Amino acid sequence: MKSRILPALLAASTALATLSAPAFAQNVIEDYAPVTAEMLANPPAEEWLMFRGKYNNQGYSELDMINKDTVGDLELAWAWPMAEAGIQETAPLVHDGIMFLQTNNNIVEALNAETGDLIWQYRHPVAEIPASWSYQANQARRQKNSIALYEDKVILTTVDAKIVVLNAADGKVAWEKQVLDYNLGYSYTVGAQIADGKIISAISGCSIAGTAGGCYIMAHDVETGDEVWRFNTIDDPNNPEQQASWGGVPPENRWGGTPWTTGAYDPDTNTTYWGIGMPGPYAELIRGSGDGSVLYTNSTLALDAATGELKWYYQHLPRDNWDLDSPFERVLVDQEIDGVMHKMLVTVPGKNGIAFALDRDTGEYLWSKETIVQNVVSSIDDDGKVNINEDLVFNALGEEFLVCSSVSGGKLWQAGAYSPDTQAFFVPLTEACNTVAPTQTEFTAGNAVGSVKFGPRVLPEGITDAGLMQALDINPEQGESKWQYRYRPSPTSSVLATAGGLVFGGDAAREIKAWDQETGELVWSQRLNAPIGGYPMTYALNGEQYLVVPTGYSNSASSISSAFPEIPLPTGSGNSIFVFKLPSDTTTASAN
Amino acid sequence: MAGNSINACFDVTSLGRPFDEAVAKAIGDALFLEVNVVEGFGGFPLNGDGFMDELTLAMNNTCDVFMGVSVSANSPFSEAFSLTRPYATIPFVLAVSDPQWQSLGDIPKDRPLGTAMASMGEMQYITWAQQQPEGQSWVRYPYPDPIKMATRVLDGTIAGMILWQPALARLQAERPETEALRVIDSAPIPGAAVSVGALVSSRNGFLRSEMDQAIDALVADGTIDALMAEFGYQGLAGE
Repeated sequence: MKSRILPALLAASTALATLSAPAFAQNVIEDYAPVTAEMLANPPAEEWLMFRGKYNNQGYSELDMINKDTVGDLELAWAWPMAEAGIQETAPLVHDGIMFLQTNNNIVEALNAETGDLIWQYRHPVAEIPASWSYQANQARRQKNSIALYEDKVILTTVDAKIVVLNAADGKVAWEKQVLDYNLGYSYTVGAQIADGKIISAISGCSIAGTAGGCYIMAHDVETGDEVWRFNTIDDPNNPEQQASWGGVPPENRWGGTPWTTGAYDPDTNTTYWGIGMPGPYAELIRGSGDGSVLYTNSTLALDAATGELKWYYQHLPRDNWDLDSPFERVLVDQEIDGVMHKMLVTVPGKNGIAFALDRDTGEYLWSKETIVQNVVSSIDDDGKVNINEDLVFNALGEEFLVCSSVSGGKLWQAGAYSPDTQAFFVPLTEACNTVAPTQTEFTAGNAVGSVKFGPRVLPEGITDAGLMQALDINPEQGESKWQYRYRPSPTSSVLATAGGLVFGGDAAREIKAWDQETGELVWSQRLNAPIGGYPMTYALNGEQYLVVPTGYSNSASSISSAFPEIPLPTGSGNSIFVFKLPSDTTTASAN
Repeated sequence: MAGNSINACFDVTSLGRPFDEAVAKAIGDALFLEVNVVEGFGGFPLNGDGFMDELTLAMNNTCDVFMGVSVSANSPFSEAFSLTRPYATIPFVLAVSDPQWQSLGDIPKDRPLGTAMASMGEMQYITWAQQQPEGQSWVRYPYPDPIKMATRVLDGTIAGMILWQPALARLQAERPETEALRVIDSAPIPGAAVSVGALVSSRNGFLRSEMDQAIDALVADGTIDALMAEFGYQGLAGE
């Protein structure tokens, strides 16, 4: 890497700098190479420019220096403690020799990707909020799963519902925009997708009373921040079927529909794909929607990136009564078979762990495949209509059912990865069940909260291993099991697939593992300081391939602590990244 | 608790917040204690995430008592906290604007009702409705905001609303346009009422005992009744 990181002058006095120089250090990257739209469409193999590497959300790298033969030689290159304790799901990005690392409380850091030296740090000044808004204060401690790069900017979405655009060179704010009113409960918990000249993002906080009737995927002009369009996931005036699906419940009495994971994008059709979460309140008995399917909750939405108009939708779980939401990553897969190109959207969208494949141009259902133990979906028709197990629909408050998977099990935010080399989709899953009962609890008199009570998480009968790495053999006709790897701890990180024939993923027992994509054989593991977390990724610099492994706390890591006493969580959050590489005498990295 | 003063905390989103403060001051007068009013917290999501964490922090750090909590058989509070005896028991009510209706049974079944979201009154209605033959109950929509719900009663979107009576009293005290709302008999739905008390640390049995005695005295001498009348509350002192 070129030497182009120069220390900047500080406003602090010499005496102050002497006392606490590292805390005030602020450097500037010279000659930062802009991330162009072309680069976003076709990222260099050596870089990791967005949430899951590419617009297709595959979580796949073409780098192959770290492979089945060499992975055992990995050595620690450097490590870095993140700037904040608390839960995080960091997705580090690398461009032009710089790693951009975000953690909770909207802190972004730029690090020298070769040495691990800090270049700059941005700490978002979160708006002052009254003590009465303690939930919003809690939101600040929640994870942010990604940031975005575009031209010479880093684009951040914040807990106080802002888009903040930083100069990549120095971390200074270029501009910011208040998108929605955080006083109503709106906040960002996922990062943006930069596509079609827009910042396409999705808001969270949609289960809070003040946000009734509006949960949005939104597009803002990437240069000006002007809003271009917004799509309301629980109120679509252009679709009578959507309105009717709420059983007469007016929009102002609807909640939920949060898009919890950054979407995928197909530049060929200018379509952005997003997954949508559960309805609120959780139980139809309380939300008043009867047997309505409550669209577009638990659905995949395909939106025109230019206009925000709905192209199609597919609902993976109608009538959700158990908070088994389905917002997780949508993966775009192209396969050419007998001269015909098949353009699929593949996903394990929700906590019940069922895999789906759709034709991504039409939304047509192709196939589905069960993975973990689940009892909520009784069948899926040939045309893709999902039929729920109506025996688990509550008829009375306090009625309790054992529901599999659990609200904190199944498929959670940890993203799977698809390898075009093996045409396999690798999905981290957790076996779990818990009792669910609709209930109401009054803390403050007359001011009750709560709509569903969850019992402790238990393993399904006959299963002693919670963790499951499921490899699915994918084609347009089917998604059959290629291999399974079962292990006691829950997976707590996303998955990375590489052209080295490997798939990487980590667990609550602090182990980062590498499996052979073809066979499922465990070929490498390394125990680290805390549960493996976030989104492992890889990049290459100066002919060497690096593997980045985040560790620390997330909702998944903390919820596992009560399930397996023999896998204790460490003291402190341990939020860190570990960067591995091969010994320097190993052959030069290449992209196949 | 320090010397002759006591820190009384409140959920700032509590529907009975001003009444609870008045009761706290009356209890302080009875015990010859100065009451320091401390704003607590609020603004939680519908599922209550974070409430118990914040409550525990507040009770450990700041509050001697936390006023205005629900005293019920299945208390959600941890054993680290004790509930006082209730200082008031206040009902949920059905409020309408149509002068023709004298009870819930007068409302046509094709008109929807509103309920205070996740409330005891809503729970009572759902439980009753689930026991009725199809078509013999009213469609119901949940509302977290009493002002929005009252607006929808007044504009005819919903026929009536079931809410905690202090919420209605506060609406009518603060918003003249809600004057047209009146309470009618909620039969055939069984009545629902909330007993209101305070929370103290389980380690401070002395304070709880003193609070209970003070509440007894304030109920007996009519102080609580007078405060309920002042705030326009229905229901009973103590219970």
